[in-house]
Amino acid sequence: MTERGGFEGLDSCVHCGFCLQACPTFLATGDESDSPRGRIELMRALETGELAPADPGVALHLDRCLGCRGCEPVCPSGVSYGRGLEAARALLTERRGVPPLVRAALGALTGADVSRFVYAVARLLRASGLPRRLAAWNRLGFAMGMLAATAPKVGGGRRRSVEVGRGAPHSNLHHPAPSSTTSPVLLFRGCVMEGLFSHVHDATIRTLQVNGYEIREVPAQVCCGALHAHAGLRDEARRLAQTNVAAFGDDDTPIVVNSAGCGAMLKEYGHLVDTPAKGRAFAARVRDVSELLAERGPRPGAPLDMTVAYDPPCHLLHAQRIAEPPERMLRAIPVMRVISMPDAAQCCGSAGLFTLVEPAMSRAVLAPKLASLAEARPQVVATGNPGCLMQLGAGLAAAGVPATVRHPVELLDESYRGAGYYA
Amino acid sequence: MSWVDRVRALLGDDAVDVAATPDGVPRVAPGSPDAVALLLGTAREEGWRVRVEGAGTWLPVDAPADLALTTRRLDKVPAIEPQDLSATAEAGIACDLLRQQLADRGTWLALDPPGLAGRTLGSVVATATAGPLRHGFGPVRDHLLGVTFVTGDGRLVQSGGRVMKNVAGYDLTKLAAGGFGAFGVIVLVHLRLRALPRADQTLVLEGSREDLAQVAEDIAAAAVQPAAHELMSPALARRERWLLAVRFAGSAALVSAEEGALRAATGGRFTALRADEAHALWMRAAESFATRPVTFRVGALPDSSDELMDLLQHQVGDEWISASPGIGAIRWGGETTVDRLRRLRRTLAGLEVPLTLERAPWPVRAAVGHFGAYREGVGPLVAGLRRTFDPGEAFVVAVEGTE
Amino acid sequence: MTAGTATAERGGSLAAALGEIVGARHVRTALPERVTFARDGLPTHRHVPGVVVLPGSRDEVVAVVRLLAALGVPFVPRGAGTGLSGGALADDDAVLIVLTRLNRILAIDPVNRIAVVEPGVVNVRLSAAAAPHGLYYSPDPSSQTACTIGGNVAENAGGPHCLKYGVTATHVLGLEVVLADGQVVELGSPGGEPWGPDLVGLFVGSEGNFGIATRIRVRLLPVPRAIRTLLADFSALRTAGEAVSAVIASGIVPAALEMMDQSCINAVEDSVYAAGYPRDAAAVLLVELDGCREEAVAADADTIAGILRAHGARGVLSAADAKQRERLWQGRKKAFGAMGRLSRDLVVQDAVVPRSTLPDVLEAIGRIATAYGLTVSNVFHAGDGNLHPNISFDGRVPGLKARVDQASGEIMAVCIAAGGTITGEHGIGLDKLRYMPLIFDGDALAAMRAVRLVFDPLERVNPGKVVPIHACREWSGVRTHPGREPGDPRAGARGELSELAR
Ligand SMILES: Cc1cc2nc3c(=O)[nH]c(=O)nc-3n(C[C@H](O)[C@H](O)[C@H](O)COP(=O)(O)OP(=O)(O)OC[C@H]3O[C@@H](n4cnc5c(N)ncnc54)[C@H](O)[C@@H]3O)c2cc1C
Ligand SMILES: Cc1cc2nc3c(=O)[nH]c(=O)nc-3n(C[C@H](O)[C@H](O)[C@H](O)COP(=O)(O)OP(=O)(O)OC[C@H]3O[C@@H](n4cnc5c(N)ncnc54)[C@H](O)[C@@H]3O)c2cc1C
Ligand code: SF4
Ligand code: SF4
Repeated sequence: MTERGGFEGLDSCVHCGFCLQACPTFLATGDESDSPRGRIELMRALETGELAPADPGVALHLDRCLGCRGCEPVCPSGVSYGRGLEAARALLTERRGVPPLVRAALGALTGADVSRFVYAVARLLRASGLPRRLAAWNRLGFAMGMLAATAPKVGGGRRRSVEVGRGAPHSNLHHPAPSSTTSPVLLFRGCVMEGLFSHVHDATIRTLQVNGYEIREVPAQVCCGALHAHAGLRDEARRLAQTNVAAFGDDDTPIVVNSAGCGAMLKEYGHLVDTPAKGRAFAARVRDVSELLAERGPRPGAPLDMTVAYDPPCHLLHAQRIAEPPERMLRAIPVMRVISMPDAAQCCGSAGLFTLVEPAMSRAVLAPKLASLAEARPQVVATGNPGCLMQLGAGLAAAGVPATVRHPVELLDESYRGAGYYA
Repeated sequence: MSWVDRVRALLGDDAVDVAATPDGVPRVAPGSPDAVALLLGTAREEGWRVRVEGAGTWLPVDAPADLALTTRRLDKVPAIEPQDLSATAEAGIACDLLRQQLADRGTWLALDPPGLAGRTLGSVVATATAGPLRHGFGPVRDHLLGVTFVTGDGRLVQSGGRVMKNVAGYDLTKLAAGGFGAFGVIVLVHLRLRALPRADQTLVLEGSREDLAQVAEDIAAAAVQPAAHELMSPALARRERWLLAVRFAGSAALVSAEEGALRAATGGRFTALRADEAHALWMRAAESFATRPVTFRVGALPDSSDELMDLLQHQVGDEWISASPGIGAIRWGGETTVDRLRRLRRTLAGLEVPLTLERAPWPVRAAVGHFGAYREGVGPLVAGLRRTFDPGEAFVVAVEGTE
Repeated sequence: MTAGTATAERGGSLAAALGEIVGARHVRTALPERVTFARDGLPTHRHVPGVVVLPGSRDEVVAVVRLLAALGVPFVPRGAGTGLSGGALADDDAVLIVLTRLNRILAIDPVNRIAVVEPGVVNVRLSAAAAPHGLYYSPDPSSQTACTIGGNVAENAGGPHCLKYGVTATHVLGLEVVLADGQVVELGSPGGEPWGPDLVGLFVGSEGNFGIATRIRVRLLPVPRAIRTLLADFSALRTAGEAVSAVIASGIVPAALEMMDQSCINAVEDSVYAAGYPRDAAAVLLVELDGCREEAVAADADTIAGILRAHGARGVLSAADAKQRERLWQGRKKAFGAMGRLSRDLVVQDAVVPRSTLPDVLEAIGRIATAYGLTVSNVFHAGDGNLHPNISFDGRVPGLKARVDQASGEIMAVCIAAGGTITGEHGIGLDKLRYMPLIFDGDALAAMRAVRLVFDPLERVNPGKVVPIHACREWSGVRTHPGREPGDPRAGARGELSELAR
């Protein structure tokens, strides 16, 4: 970690304001305190000590930051907002600890043992079909909507998951590619993805295989630590990161991720782990599933007659700057119409735990997106991040917009199934 | 000492011409901006009432006053900068002389105000009277980089500058332009110029007003971009019927391309004029307004031009009309009464269309005012500005009427 | 107790009254929140406002202003805070009225090519909304993706394409304004003809000193059908400057004519907005020609390309497609923002000089930079002669800021001596107050102040900006309001919000 813990990333801000209109929270309130530029001002004051981490005015507005990093790609001066934010949040957390709700959520979603239980219960509940019917705008209703959104839609296939957190690196568990020229890749499974979206992992494995990849499992891997880092729990995030770095070994086999949030985090390990060189080497291997698929074309599948709105996750588009590959991936599906929404690049308000801890701001950020989706009426909204899938799914359900949410690889998977590649 | 002696002592013998004006008001012709300031400072102390004159070709020189201040000796052109496309001219220079000097240096002031050719630059600025070229090049204010004027208490105030853009301080130039001299005597003007157009072509089409209005719409819809696009009444155009005159000015490539587009949009019905014919047309149209006792302008939304012309026809007749339908500007000339003008202004105000009286004999001006029927809250602001720039009410200007 | 809570308590009752009007959520009193409003786009000035209020409608603005008038509290309007002269800053004794929530486009009339907007509408959003009608809003300050039209009106903003189409003042037809006392007046007329003296023209560029514009009626233009964008690169700044004059004198009016020097080119090329400018060029010119006729624009572009080559351009590239054109422009427009790459602090100037003097003035600026050992980057509206020398420095180095200020002063002096002015589009605000007496005498300054007093007799709107009061000559027409006299009880009320709270 650097001497100033990430604050140095803010130095180049010249206060030009180009980031204002890219910031979903500023658009929601029009308030400079809820803007990247305003928050940079707060973070600088935190670093110099001019403002105290205990000051509720500081915490309020930094907490209301989605961490979506929509402000980064528009910044001409290349301000590293995300790194500054983590530094600032670390200071806040040092001071006030982690709010109980965040702590509970972290435990439930990422804690090695608790989470297994939580996910099992959640899957049971999901299977009951109850959440779908209870989806609404209130807190409970929204949570139910989020859970409902995680359900596999069609041809989900059987659960084919491995036990995460145990075992040796590069276990011989693997899914060979059918073709002769194969490249090995290691699958990063994560926690929420593994707990609620294992069908996306399955789709990832199958579609990669069709495109000539051989997927290997890494049982010793753990949660990426993104939620911890965002909550200011740097040390916990660092411990998780070091475990992962060790788990994935130090050759140069690519590591494939299908959760944009995890991908963004893994690519930041260079700034986090104790031996930055190792972290950087690890980060260099991390690839989003769409990148790998796009490299190989990907192979076209069978036609799907549907209209899809693609909503790029912030952590893919802004943090990893991956714009083109998911679109190429969707274009490999004949007939399917992909519509682009004017505000697609804007955050949906999910932002990890944000939707739980700042529900009002989160819904305010989601609202304009729902309004344009309600007008465009796609059948499917595709996005490559678990949080976004849940947020959008819950929002669509609450707003009564009849569209389902899918991960883009699920669509490709369905197209491949139709083409008979899996027969 | 009589006041004439005082002025002679201040400004020199040749500055005063006692018997010059038709109504016997002694006329003073200061030879420099400072002399104007000196004179008005003294006028303020003495309580003299001053009317300002340029060349005396536009407004009748009939306002009751103790003395007439003419700008005709302020006729120098200190700078013409073809490289910068800017010029600095004193307010009393006649427009035709200035135009010639500019042309000699390859430059052009894209203004063609109504009135006689010898009209002063200061009068054009003070009354903000733009002609048909307003369609392509905007109102008078768009041609001004800065203005220096002398207030009613003899202060020389500069505003703007001679560079292309300037936001230093409040834009007092905008007050001078179209203030009808109520805020000061303009002594020096910095102008934004254009290069003398390489090509300049006018095309005309005769027809009924209704037909031509339709053609005008077609032209706008085809995104033809003329320098002028003027609908003239038969009397004004000296034709049997109404005339739509379209003028293109610019590079040869531009003019021929625009001309082609015009023909395409209107089915080739326009006739191109020779240069001398075009010159005569525009010149006559401008001068005609100087021969009518009353002139006013109205500015409306483009799509209401037609209705407005109906309204004018109905209330004051439509013999002398020149309109830029593309920008909703109409100039009317003719003979009419105070009552009709007042009624018309009220009717128009109801439609949110301002009427600006440009020219009329003093009794009409005094009764109707250049401006009037303001929106709520504007009157006190104008009054406040007048008090600020002419605290002793030295200037004889009928800003608002007596209604 | 922190300063923040102290002020919150002091201004408590005022904040409560404001909250009744706009809703408590839209009143900001905590110190950290006020601190985020302490700067605009020129961060060298910092003033923490007493209270920040964000009204959500015109009626709320009126009610807020009336309340403040009754209490005698000064206030400052603020748009997006991208101003570059410290104009949108308020002191502890004043309320900052932020207009970002008034962001509705009220009407677009494609027939008459007019739009009516609230002041908080972001410039580029109006063009986007007009695009389906084939129209756009022409003034395009480089900050257009962030700045508001209200701020543009207040500053009379310019932009690259103002060379051909004119600055904001050219495009504003009418305004609804809330005066200092809360009175609402409509200036201008629907068609744009002044209604009486040209008060719209007077208001545009008044930097928030005449009141708050709450509705703005602007002209839209048809989107040009033909566009050519040329990038010419030069091995010397001087020849680039000479080429500018040659283009202007040619009689062809480019839509835009912009210059960037090497240091600026490199900052842009290092950023996400890299446009492919040649890094080894001493300067590049970006020239755009547009119109409705493809053949005419093409012919003009050829002529201009010839002129550029004849005046020393090493190469002239014409943008191949809309995408490349957009990239060339994004690089230019984000150049100022990219200056943060050079150093952490930055001052930017905004002088305008006669275009023919550009080569000499640029050289003189270079000499001053060398003499003071500073990095000066130039990115500017060359076609208008509107210079933006940016001085990059590290404010933490002791004494450096003073040197920067001195160099700035010298650059300004050079520009004034060349017949120029001190600001072409950024306004005076706080930053250029000290230069006003260099170009205006006491009478001109006093006249300006007198005009302001007509709109705002107590000088309560955006106090302390634009006119350096000490430099004004006495003005007989001005009746200074009793409120400004020391003995007046209301004069005391201006002191601190604390008094008001009781
Ligand atoms: C402050 C002022 C008050 C006037 N009041 C009257 C009046 O009440 N009655 C009347 O008949 N005429 C008035 N005039 C105008 C003047 O008396 C004649 O109309 C004028 O001589 C006609 O000259 P011209 O052909 O050059 O164009 P003008 O007809 O001179 O000018 C037309 C208009 O332009 C204005 N003007 C001309 N030059 C300047 C200048 N340098 N600075 C400011 N304004 C200028 C005048 O206001 C005049 O109204 C006034 C002029 C001014 C400046
Ligand atoms: C990177 C960058 C590039 C820029 N490029 C240009 C450029 O090319 N051309 C240019 O002209 N400027 C440019 N600017 C300057 C700035 O963007 C403009 O001055 C802009 O008009 C300010 O708008 P704003 O909404 O940010 O206003 P603010 O900065 O918030 O306010 C500016 C002034 O306007 C007043 N104000 C705001 N709203 C209102 C209202 N509704 N009524 C009355 N007064 C009001 C404020 O009191 C203040 O005095 C640039 C700035 C940056 C940071
Ligand atoms: S865009 Fe970048 S430099 Fe500009 S204000 Fe935002 S963070 Fe700062
Ligand atoms: S990370 Fe997202 S919410 Fe936070 S300041 Fe940046 S754009 Fe705004």
